[in-house]
Amino acid sequence: MNSAQIEIQLIASLVAIACAIPGTFLVLRKMALITDAISHSILPGIVIGFFITHDLSSPLLIVMAAASGVLTVVLVEFIQKTGLVKEDTAIGLVFPALFSIGIILIAKNANDVHLDVDAVLLGELAFAPFDRLALDGIDLGPKSLWIIGTILLITLGLLFAFFKELKVSTFDAGLASALGLSPVVIHYGLMTVSSITTVGAFDAVGAILVIALMIAPAATAYLLTNDLKKLLVLAVLFGVGSAIAGYWVAYALDASISGSMTTVLGVLFLMVYLFAPAKGLFSVLYRQKQQRIEVSLLTFLLHLRNHKEEEERHVKHLNEHINWQKVRSKSVLDLALKNNMITIHKDVVSLTPKGKKFTTEAIDYIVTNKNSEIENMKDRFFLFRG
Amino acid sequence: MDLQEYIELVFTDYTLRTITLGTAVLGTICGMLGSFAVLRKQSLLGDAISHAALPGIAIAFLIIETKNSAIFLVGALISGLIGTFWIRGITSKTHLKSDTALGLILSLFFGFGMLLLTYIQKMPNANQAGLESYLFGQAATLLESDVWLMVIVTGISLIILLLFWKELKLLLFDADYTKTLGFNTQFLDILITSFIVVAIVLGLQTVGVVLMSAMLLAPAAAARQWTNNLAVMVILAAIFGAFSGIFGTAISASQNNLSTGPVIVLVAGVFVLFSFIFSPRRGLLFREIRFRKNRNDLQLHKTLSFMYNIAKTHEDISHPHAIRILNNFQGFTRKSLQKLENKDYVKIKGNMWSMTKEGYHIAANLYDQLIKEEDE
Repeated sequence: MNSAQIEIQLIASLVAIACAIPGTFLVLRKMALITDAISHSILPGIVIGFFITHDLSSPLLIVMAAASGVLTVVLVEFIQKTGLVKEDTAIGLVFPALFSIGIILIAKNANDVHLDVDAVLLGELAFAPFDRLALDGIDLGPKSLWIIGTILLITLGLLFAFFKELKVSTFDAGLASALGLSPVVIHYGLMTVSSITTVGAFDAVGAILVIALMIAPAATAYLLTNDLKKLLVLAVLFGVGSAIAGYWVAYALDASISGSMTTVLGVLFLMVYLFAPAKGLFSVLYRQKQQRIEVSLLTFLLHLRNHKEEEERHVKHLNEHINWQKVRSKSVLDLALKNNMITIHKDVVSLTPKGKKFTTEAIDYIVTNKNSEIENMKDRFFLFRG
Repeated sequence: MDLQEYIELVFTDYTLRTITLGTAVLGTICGMLGSFAVLRKQSLLGDAISHAALPGIAIAFLIIETKNSAIFLVGALISGLIGTFWIRGITSKTHLKSDTALGLILSLFFGFGMLLLTYIQKMPNANQAGLESYLFGQAATLLESDVWLMVIVTGISLIILLLFWKELKLLLFDADYTKTLGFNTQFLDILITSFIVVAIVLGLQTVGVVLMSAMLLAPAAAARQWTNNLAVMVILAAIFGAFSGIFGTAISASQNNLSTGPVIVLVAGVFVLFSFIFSPRRGLLFREIRFRKNRNDLQLHKTLSFMYNIAKTHEDISHPHAIRILNNFQGFTRKSLQKLENKDYVKIKGNMWSMTKEGYHIAANLYDQLIKEEDE
């Protein structure tokens, strides 16, 4: 590894951390798409800032871009408040309009803007080490490292200072405002931080990867934990991990670094989405199947309880009476037998004392509308789950 | 170039004619199907799908190794559909919300597409040039065959819309009721979503990945302001879309260095802005006017009712009173008094006012009406 490679990975990791922190809160607050809007609509801000300073690395550009990010949020909220269209439509209307203005401004002044729309969308991390910050002739490292480092420090500072406030206002906005925390201040604070992070990151990794780095690590982590602190830590780890892995994939394929970082994030998300222990697709499908069988079992046991007559409790009869397929009735019968809920004597099914106790309790919960209690009851009674 | 010249040019110049027709047809289909997207609160689905289509285009190129917009469309369609169904999978099977799902699919698919595009660019294949035009769209690359394809797809979607009009309308406004009536809501849902995906994929070449969502939304959002009737909305949206295409092409053709896609989006944005402000029933301007008028009326009614309460206590309702006693009452101003006089509800003589018969009657009924409304 040469120093440029280390620097690229360092920048990518810092960007990933800086994005993951506000991203987590945006995902939790159901505002993930505002990053999409911000990352596109900062374009006119950057272009106008460039016209004023004629310097792509001037801090004014960041200020202008962040301002146009906040402007986007304000506009979206204004349109939303008029009630003329829904929130998502408002987002969808505002950012393409601002982005179009940005593109047209670039195109009309193509001769004196060294700003490539492709670069804006995709960024070019590979060139980041070439733009260096020098002070009195001493090389202090790549400029984007300094920019993103500063932004990260500010974000971390704000996070530690206002962690409690952010947490309360994210999970219980009503309580937060009752406690005297202004939701408006926190909302716009978060939006400003997101805008600034987007701007700072966007220079290095481009508009689309910013969205991915904000949303994907947080969403992936959210499938694994419900604890805010763990969520933040996991999101940061996922972000950094895929930043570094993405760099080496890009190195191997000789392709865009930001593209391959996103792809790694995508693969990571897919894996977690499929295999996460409690919330992954497979475990959800498994649980749904289990629930279906257990509900059938309960129905079946209640049916038995209601019928003393032998012909109603005959195994063959169940198929037609509760209208189940053969396979299903067999698996339900098996489960009931395994759990000692029933006994089968000459093809006539009857409840055991345990089965009777189970159904009595279940009916109690059902008539008192405490259906959720049934889950706990299952834990107590079942030896084997469906 | 004046208008007449331009119109002549549209009919004679092959490129300009193709682009104008293409963008107009695109605007029409986007407006039509966009109305459904907006009403189903799937506005940003368009954004996600258009980004998700990119890897499909890249993979299609990797397979056939030459440029063929029909094959690209198929690739884009497949990857757009995969994206759509994944979004549904995420929102229905996990606790992640739809905004997160949309943002995820959008950025992850697009990033993967970019990885493939940059990979393709490094390949020793001369045919790869021009794939980037799908990012921002290049209306100039439209061929007559592309326009025909758009016309055919528009025709098919129009037929489907007409065939399933009743069902789609029902699904739009009361999905549960549709289900209880025995319609296959899942089929209808997939049908309309697939057509929205098709419309988006068609537009990629013209306006590009990033701006496609606006193409879908803007005409529908504008049309929504003018009507509460679905059929009228769909037709209006189609018209707005078509005119955005035509005007956008005209503006970008008459200037140097103006790409068509952004201009079309901005024209559509102007339609939206105009509709937001000037639509008679929902528009901001008329709403504000109505609001002010109501407030003024309320002020007048308050004053009138205060006067009525004083006049009521006298045998002669037109007994004059000093204006001074109204000072205790906040709703009163010189102007509102003047207005009441203009309406012949009161008479003013010097410093005294007296109620007219009409004013007394109105005030009495005003009070009755309020009570009546409360009773109801």
